[in-house]
Amino acid sequence: MLKKHPLVTFIFFGVVLYLISNRLDELLVYQGASVAIFVIAIASLILLTGYSGQISLGHGALMCIGAYAAALLRIHYNAPVWLTFVVAVLAAAVGGALLGLAAARLSGPYLAGTTLALAIGLPSIANKFSIFGGEQGISFDIGLPPASLGEDFTQYKWYFWISWSAALIAMYWLRHVLNSRYGRSWRAVRSNDVAAELAGIHVGRNKVLAFTISAGLAGLAGALLGMTISLVSPGVYPLLLSFSLATGAVLAGVTTLGGVMIGAVILVAIPEIALAIANRYGGSETIITNLPGLLVSGLLILTVLLVPNGPVEQMHARRAKHAKNGKASHSPVELTLRVGSKTFSTKK
Amino acid sequence: MSQFLDMFLIGISAASIYALMAISMVLVWRSTRVVNFAQAGMALLSAYLGYELVARTGNFWIALPLAMILGAAFSAFIEFFLMRTLLKHSNQGPIAAIAPIIATLGLLGVIRAVIGFIWGHGDVLLEAPLSKIGYKVGETTLFVGPMGLFVIAFVVTLLIVVTIVFQKTNIGLALRASAYAPEIAQLSGIRVSGIRTLGWAIAGASGAAAGILQTVNGTGVLTPESLEFSLLLVFGFIAAVIGGLESLPGAVLGSLILGLVLAFVQIYISGTLVFIVAFLLLLTLLIIRPQGFLGSKAGRRA
Amino acid sequence: MITINRRKLITASAVLAIATLTVSTVPANAFNPNMGSDPGITATTIKLGITSPLTGIASPGYKKIPGAMKAYFDYVNANGGVNGRKITLVSKDDQYIPTTAVAKANELILRDKVFALVGTLGTASTKALTASTQLSKRGVPSLFVNTGWSGFADKQAYPTTFSILPSYQMEAKIIGKLLKDQYAGKKLALIYQDDDFGRDALAGFKTAGVTFDTTIPYASGSQALPATGAGWITKLKAAAPDVTVFFGVSSATTALLGASVQGGWIGKTQFIFGSVGGDATTIANSLPALVPLLRGSKGLSFAPAPTDVNDEYIKLFQTIYAAAQPKETFDNNVVAGMSNAFLAVQAIKAAGKNLTRKGLIQTIETKGASLPHPFLTPLGYSTTSHVGATGYWVGTYGATGALTPDGGKYTVYTTDSGTGAVVESTYKRPAMPAKGLPN
Repeated sequence: MLKKHPLVTFIFFGVVLYLISNRLDELLVYQGASVAIFVIAIASLILLTGYSGQISLGHGALMCIGAYAAALLRIHYNAPVWLTFVVAVLAAAVGGALLGLAAARLSGPYLAGTTLALAIGLPSIANKFSIFGGEQGISFDIGLPPASLGEDFTQYKWYFWISWSAALIAMYWLRHVLNSRYGRSWRAVRSNDVAAELAGIHVGRNKVLAFTISAGLAGLAGALLGMTISLVSPGVYPLLLSFSLATGAVLAGVTTLGGVMIGAVILVAIPEIALAIANRYGGSETIITNLPGLLVSGLLILTVLLVPNGPVEQMHARRAKHAKNGKASHSPVELTLRVGSKTFSTKK
Repeated sequence: MSQFLDMFLIGISAASIYALMAISMVLVWRSTRVVNFAQAGMALLSAYLGYELVARTGNFWIALPLAMILGAAFSAFIEFFLMRTLLKHSNQGPIAAIAPIIATLGLLGVIRAVIGFIWGHGDVLLEAPLSKIGYKVGETTLFVGPMGLFVIAFVVTLLIVVTIVFQKTNIGLALRASAYAPEIAQLSGIRVSGIRTLGWAIAGASGAAAGILQTVNGTGVLTPESLEFSLLLVFGFIAAVIGGLESLPGAVLGSLILGLVLAFVQIYISGTLVFIVAFLLLLTLLIIRPQGFLGSKAGRRA
Repeated sequence: MITINRRKLITASAVLAIATLTVSTVPANAFNPNMGSDPGITATTIKLGITSPLTGIASPGYKKIPGAMKAYFDYVNANGGVNGRKITLVSKDDQYIPTTAVAKANELILRDKVFALVGTLGTASTKALTASTQLSKRGVPSLFVNTGWSGFADKQAYPTTFSILPSYQMEAKIIGKLLKDQYAGKKLALIYQDDDFGRDALAGFKTAGVTFDTTIPYASGSQALPATGAGWITKLKAAAPDVTVFFGVSSATTALLGASVQGGWIGKTQFIFGSVGGDATTIANSLPALVPLLRGSKGLSFAPAPTDVNDEYIKLFQTIYAAAQPKETFDNNVVAGMSNAFLAVQAIKAAGKNLTRKGLIQTIETKGASLPHPFLTPLGYSTTSHVGATGYWVGTYGATGALTPDGGKYTVYTTDSGTGAVVESTYKRPAMPAKGLPN
């Protein structure tokens, strides 16, 4: 259904989410918004790493850029909310383009290390210039939900709606881009950039484009994250966040967009599960703090070892294998040969 | 003038710490072409082990080599169980490039959590065996004391030993060959997988030394979230890249450059710019001379 | 074929999402602020919540606070509770990360359904959780937040939040007065963290009319780098100031002291430590060897010193804490936690048996300033301001890290976060109620 009627599927999913949001309690609604944010952020990494083959350990910093752009616009110019998100995307995209230009000639660990250094270095810029509000950050208040939605429409539900609308639109668009010639050219460059260059693809531009779009998405996620906690500060985008995103991307299956929900849900659900486990078996604060990290990291290692291309790819591969096994009696190639009046064929 | 001398000595002391981490990163790179982001975590674990050993044996000079051996063993263990399985399962597709990086990140998280479980989050103190008070030259006190001097001497010795091993011995040759051209090395009769484990083991020992020496040379306090260790990872990496990820002397050279530049910025410009300068240094170098100062051109790509 | 699988995948993802998020669910409940009686309170119990850094970079020292609070609450519970109610404290760890603080505050308010928050720590975390959970709209009181940011005292902006710590500007102004009174004409140096915390202090010094001959800012986090502390000492050596004021966090103080040993530069300047980084007991916990270096340095506090055995509150708290946590040392953080808890209990008692969130907030506004409490400065709560303590006393560190007041008695100076003058206070702290209980 997705392939044939993608728009319908997305709208259907949107309706499902709307229905869900009315039935869940507030805490879950808030977490649901977090899932949406992670969906966007992880998708941005799937684009960059899975499709374009460039690793980034600093996407937290790109989220940070988008968030600050949105918050500053809101605070100083009282800009309408939708505009702040647009600006977040653009600002982060510019940052991504610059980073992409610098990083286009890097690969593998060099790129990883550079983005890592960025993730650490960027917050200190926020501390340096007082316009960024320093350690305590800038408030990012998107205001109350419109009165037309009723008295009982809570703030968290509003965040949920905004985040998921953004996520659905972003995913729809991203899917389109990944299936277009851009997506194909990224994959081509990723597989073999020399061959791609020979085929006429401008490798450098291609890579920078990937970085730009990926950064734009990350900026959107960053602004949404700032929205849900009503604050944008360096502490909101620590190194840990960049690592979580990389983790989520791998859990989702770095090369497919389809698994992005899984990655996002796991990231949000793990602390909850850890809490439930700790409460069940009676744990001290030490366990409650350490268990999520242990679970996520352990899961990451297992995923990389056992299902490196992600559970979705694995499923497809298995299905393809089963399909192949089921048709073992068919010959892979069908030949029909006519010799004179006789016809020989491998068709069955 | 005295401020300049101070800056110089401070830079060199800092550089010696970065160098230990940079050397172990280069070692891992040269033997298995992986950058081990869990290096800092393993160094942290080794530092805790060092603390336990000092507590049990009461003697730092016994504890240090023991901790290095344990670090080597742990590192080899990781290579054997984690990295090899990884290479087997994911040597195709885009995941091949990033799988080791992601796996080592996961490892870092696991190590941190385990340390938190075992030693708790309280501060743990590792006492320095030598005095950290600077030597006095006439009226002024220099910024390097017996402990600092030991670290520098240790780094130099380590560098010499490892370089000799790599350049002059058969094992070293096997190490280099296994990294560059594993298939050919295999054909020549080298047990590539065993050699790779050895490479990681040596790196583990160096990393353990880095963790312990960095701790005793600093405040001596260990916590699972030690900011020092995260910074050590990044700065060690930057130093390694500056010198050239391929080159062991490069790692030391890169550390010197990084240490001196940062000390200069700290003292003469402003302490608030350290992180930004480090990042810009890394970026600039990667743009104009990606193979580092002492690296050769071929080795830049992953 | 593939299309069906894709659809299955999406549906499966949606189901998985719902299922996972429902692991620890509570029945759905529409948000309704006028639900009748307030949550977290019954005829015999009252539930309070705190989120603070129990682990992570900011945890040294601070992580003792919830345990200390609980010790006092347990003592009150064992003696009949407050207005017949026993107090439970739900404590969560936010690791000093604002996003986590919001998540934990959500849990406290929505899942644990606490009556009020107490003692949240950190400016960014408190700002975030207050705004995101819409504390004011829900009417949840946030009592005695552990941060020196002056903004929380603004009743208009934070109607349900109450400060307790004096602000950083107040602290800087008081240090400024000290500098002008006792060190006029001397060479002054300032080391400060280059973020809003340190810059708040700069603003305070500016108001006080103090100019420093040397200022040494450092990037927050860089104190963990090996060269940073040494860099400060080098600069201080070159500048040779008579007085050096230090406005940084404890880890920076440790770096400074360690570097001064390395550089052989001890006793060459009069150090004045701001209250945040000057917490000698935190330093003592991690690095006992450095504590003697504090000797002779000046520090500030607004509570009685933990070693002041003549103070009735200290005596009481020591006894309670020794019984509750015999293995932990009794220090500033414990005093801070127990004092917060004490004040909270007094406020709850004053609000009466018919306890509501609104009632509690009104009580603190109208009666808060006259409630008994352990602090040595007056509290500024009123119907127009939520300012807590308004001043500091200055003391000198001894060899064991204990801060004793200069002049042998507590001389408290009070001021405001604005341009008001610094005055010597004549405040007399009300006597402690019998046994420190809410009788």
